[in-house]
Amino acid sequence: MLIVRPSTFSDLASIEKLANQNSAKISSLPQQRDKLSEQIDISTRSFAGDESLAGVEQYLMVLEDSESGDVLGTAGIDRCAGNGHPFYNYRQDEIIHSSHQLNVNNNVPVLYMSHELTGKTLFRSLTIDSKYRGTEYFELISRARLLLVGQFKALFDDEIIIEIQGVLDDDGVCPFWDSVGRHFFDMDFATADYYSAIKSKTFIAELMPSHPIYVPLLSEAAQTAVSTPHPLAEANCQLLHREGFRIGKYADIFDGGPTLTAKVSNLNTVKSLQSKHIKVSESTRGGVKYLISNGSVSNFRCVIGQLTDGIGDVIRINQALAKALNVSENDSITFAAL
Amino acid sequence: MMIIRPINKGDFDSLCYLAKNTGIGVTSLPDNPDLLQSKIDRAEESFAKTIDSDHAKYVFVLEDTQAKKVVGICGIEARVGLEDVWYNYRISTTVNASTELGVHKQTPTLYLTNDLTGCSEVCSLFLDADYRKNSNGLLLSKSRFLFLADFPDMFSEKVFAEMRGVSDDHGHSPFWEALGKKFFTLDFSRADYLSGVSGKSFIAELMPKHPIYLPFLSDEAQAVVGKVHENTVPARAMLESEGFNFNGFIDIFDGGPAIEAFVNNIRAVRESFKRHALVVKNPKETDEDDMPNLKDSYLVSNRSFSDFRVALVPASSIRQDTIDIPAELAEHLQICSGDVLRAVSLREAKR
Repeated sequence: MLIVRPSTFSDLASIEKLANQNSAKISSLPQQRDKLSEQIDISTRSFAGDESLAGVEQYLMVLEDSESGDVLGTAGIDRCAGNGHPFYNYRQDEIIHSSHQLNVNNNVPVLYMSHELTGKTLFRSLTIDSKYRGTEYFELISRARLLLVGQFKALFDDEIIIEIQGVLDDDGVCPFWDSVGRHFFDMDFATADYYSAIKSKTFIAELMPSHPIYVPLLSEAAQTAVSTPHPLAEANCQLLHREGFRIGKYADIFDGGPTLTAKVSNLNTVKSLQSKHIKVSESTRGGVKYLISNGSVSNFRCVIGQLTDGIGDVIRINQALAKALNVSENDSITFAAL
Repeated sequence: MMIIRPINKGDFDSLCYLAKNTGIGVTSLPDNPDLLQSKIDRAEESFAKTIDSDHAKYVFVLEDTQAKKVVGICGIEARVGLEDVWYNYRISTTVNASTELGVHKQTPTLYLTNDLTGCSEVCSLFLDADYRKNSNGLLLSKSRFLFLADFPDMFSEKVFAEMRGVSDDHGHSPFWEALGKKFFTLDFSRADYLSGVSGKSFIAELMPKHPIYLPFLSDEAQAVVGKVHENTVPARAMLESEGFNFNGFIDIFDGGPAIEAFVNNIRAVRESFKRHALVVKNPKETDEDDMPNLKDSYLVSNRSFSDFRVALVPASSIRQDTIDIPAELAEHLQICSGDVLRAVSLREAKR
């Protein structure tokens, strides 16, 4: 069975492999072992409720095949985008250049440097083994976060943001970067991306242009790339869109990729969450597939399982499911339709 | 004989003829009769002091007295930007540096400013192609400095000139293509014409107000920032020899430089002197063959405000206490013996 659970140090090597396998780059999942290990440490403490992290928790979950022990995917949550530091985005706005005499009204798109999303809850580091891309397990690893956030709203901001990978070709050429950031950072996209994963974000503040950027002055490829997801991220975008996320007015400062935003309480998964006490049965027959999680933060588990939901606040689950969820008789589970 | 004098109503036809021949890039002389008429009207009011001196615009013409023909024009705007809004980009430097990453990046940045508001502008210079010889261009351009020298109270203490920027034979300006055109669909020549007709400010309303990082512009556009059209290179060199400097102000349309000087630092103002006229009867035949001497000639003005006149005299006319003025020239300059003239060598003395 495939189970979503908090990451542990023993996952280090497999996460590293996943991070390197991912063709659409995930800059929030570092490929360097020491950085990764630091993230797992913070995640472990966050799941454990370490008070010294209060407000800046960072959670990293993995999708594990419980039979083989293989780690097949990752998904992360930062309680607070920026983790206590400024979180950078471009905010897209429009300026109307108007001349009464010439009878002209031009809407000119402009990008403003913004910290407005700092402190929102950030979903990040979503990866899945390429064999499982497009399967229901992609939904499992992605939506497991919503079961956690939906059950423990107080631990998170009431708004969630997700940065989607922007346009980048196979040779690592990023048109938005080449038209914007490169002029100021004096380095190619890969180098900047590398620094952004391993260095503090101070260098962004130091090197990023502070004046608004007129989109019409950028190369055509860069203009097209503003708020456009990487082709590989399309499927994820669609899933998130169905969930209730919307492309907001924010774009990534490096690759111009879109940022999706939603209120927690407006998300379909969160709205449809149900919690019931369980009755463990020898075996259950039939039923409908649900995403199911236990009621624990520190021992969070989320799986796909079949349930027959009925009237009343007790629901039957089989032993395998109970074992995977680490729950026993009378514990409660929370579930949402797959 | 070539004489500088204030423009008047009778010059309308000549002005229209000149305007037809300026070509793109001379925004101050658009081929538009109504506009030219109002230009003349305003100049007449300015010389007559019937309008507020802040709003005065003085226009002078160069007349070939033998041919009775106006062959050139030049002007001084007393103070720009007091009626409409005067815009320039100022080239500034943005430095982004990270010691951690060893990056130190300087980015030229264009700021939209109104910094030249209230300054005086020497402008509208145009000389008929047939007359671009015999120091006529210098006479036309520098005559204005003698006007500034005698009437400083009518002007700002700082004066500037906007130089025509780079554009090709078809009127394509690389700077305009890379910047202005992105903000509204208008050819440079059309924008240029409109700005001459209605002033720049209404087009400027459509221009970007936030600073522009220069690397966002095309390489061609970046290359012409602060550069003048090849036909304007001599004019720029001339003004620079008079003490004008480029301090980073450029035209918002074509990126051409605005060069500035304090009036009292302009060579032709600083070195000019007052001396009495001595009207002489045909001192020495000065005919066309004497032209090489014009290199050493002097500008002399009659120091009149409303009947301002300037002409060139040979260096040999400048005496210890007087300036020899042939009778015919005295008539054109409207002076008699004993009148105080202002004179300055046409070029900086070789040192």
